[in-house]
Amino acid sequence: MLTKSAMRLLIITVILSFQAACSMVRPALDYRPGATVDTLSAAISMSVTTAENGMSGSGFMVYRRPDQLHLVMLSPFGTTMLEIFSRGEQITLLYPGSSTAYVGKIADLPEKGGLQGWRLMRWVMEAAPAASASTNGSFERTGAQGTVEKVTYENGLVTEKSTRDGEHVYYSRYTVANGVPFAAELLLMNSKDERIRIVLDEPEVNTPLEDAVFKPQLSGIKILPLSELRGL
Amino acid sequence: MIRTWLNIFVAMIMLSAGVFSSSAQARSIPPLEGLEVLRKGFSGLTDFTADITQEKRLSLMKRNMSMTGKVRFKKPDHFFMEINPPYNSKMVLIDSVIEMAGGPEGKRNRIVLPPDQGLGHWFAKLLAPVTTLPDGVQILVDISGSLYTLTVTPQGKGQVKELTVSFLSDGTIRRLIILERNGDKATMTFKNLRRNIGLTEREFRLDP
Repeated sequence: MLTKSAMRLLIITVILSFQAACSMVRPALDYRPGATVDTLSAAISMSVTTAENGMSGSGFMVYRRPDQLHLVMLSPFGTTMLEIFSRGEQITLLYPGSSTAYVGKIADLPEKGGLQGWRLMRWVMEAAPAASASTNGSFERTGAQGTVEKVTYENGLVTEKSTRDGEHVYYSRYTVANGVPFAAELLLMNSKDERIRIVLDEPEVNTPLEDAVFKPQLSGIKILPLSELRGL
Repeated sequence: MIRTWLNIFVAMIMLSAGVFSSSAQARSIPPLEGLEVLRKGFSGLTDFTADITQEKRLSLMKRNMSMTGKVRFKKPDHFFMEINPPYNSKMVLIDSVIEMAGGPEGKRNRIVLPPDQGLGHWFAKLLAPVTTLPDGVQILVDISGSLYTLTVTPQGKGQVKELTVSFLSDGTIRRLIILERNGDKATMTFKNLRRNIGLTEREFRLDP
């Protein structure tokens, strides 16, 4: 396990590498200005790192604007290890292996265990491109949820957002599907040394998704409050 | 959760290592007989390696994921599994210690299981002949030509609804299917399986 100082060094290295990558001149993508990601489904590779520990793995996620998310993490043998459903302020963490689900409000997620980052997922997903593809630079604005945030654009695309509370999200590896630009790699960091890094693969953008995709199947599942959850 | 993984893993190892008698006609054999043949087949195994394709069907999302990689096993308690990019990950299990590295940053995890859940403990049970069926599961073994199919159905309400393995009469495993109670299905297909090739400790490390 990495020591805390080593972890900080790693974080700094990643940040510097990322900033270096962002500063490079890249060709502009051909997309429809103002186009937004209304739905997204993709295979994912994800790492969650906290000051104490971390986890990583592969899985799948679906998202529907503005606030519905369903994420599946797989075990090494391909079975479902964890499902996370969030909608509005509600979140459900379903562990099929123990037939247990933890249900509650996102605000009630435990302080430790790599879960704090999920509080920010709605804010992270709000990264619509600028009205003009020639928009560059950093601007302060009030986001859709009333959060004052600093946003950095490159060729009209959001490459970075941050809040006064110390949360940062970096968007990279932009690609275009159906005229809609989206970042295939997200790096979310908060002031508590927690990081969530997500890389998307085989994405489908703005395809219809059934409501059932976002509803946890809790038949036969033991339901507990989030207060009993001890990390991922 | 870890225990579920281990149950799946032990079934996979046993079945990929097994040597079964061939049959010209499709028929069922008694499950106890099938398990005992399996145990005897495993006794002749020292190690094996295989290429794998892992497919996941997500019933709720109506999507499939496909991954490729390789697995290695060495008696009495070593297992290695590597998944290729873009889902790159590695896992080493040595008795009761699991080490994993994966995700976009190769993040490492280390999990230590209780001794009675270690791999060595599970495989020590294979030293004695199988005289009774395991509690809480239904086991069926069918043979069709050279293809054997073993189906394990847990009787409880756990995550695994059904586990099915297809293999050839020479012990070459073809496929492992795990059907989950939520309708998801994980299929692991084995290719280029090689037995008793003298794998060393070096081949069971996260770092090459």
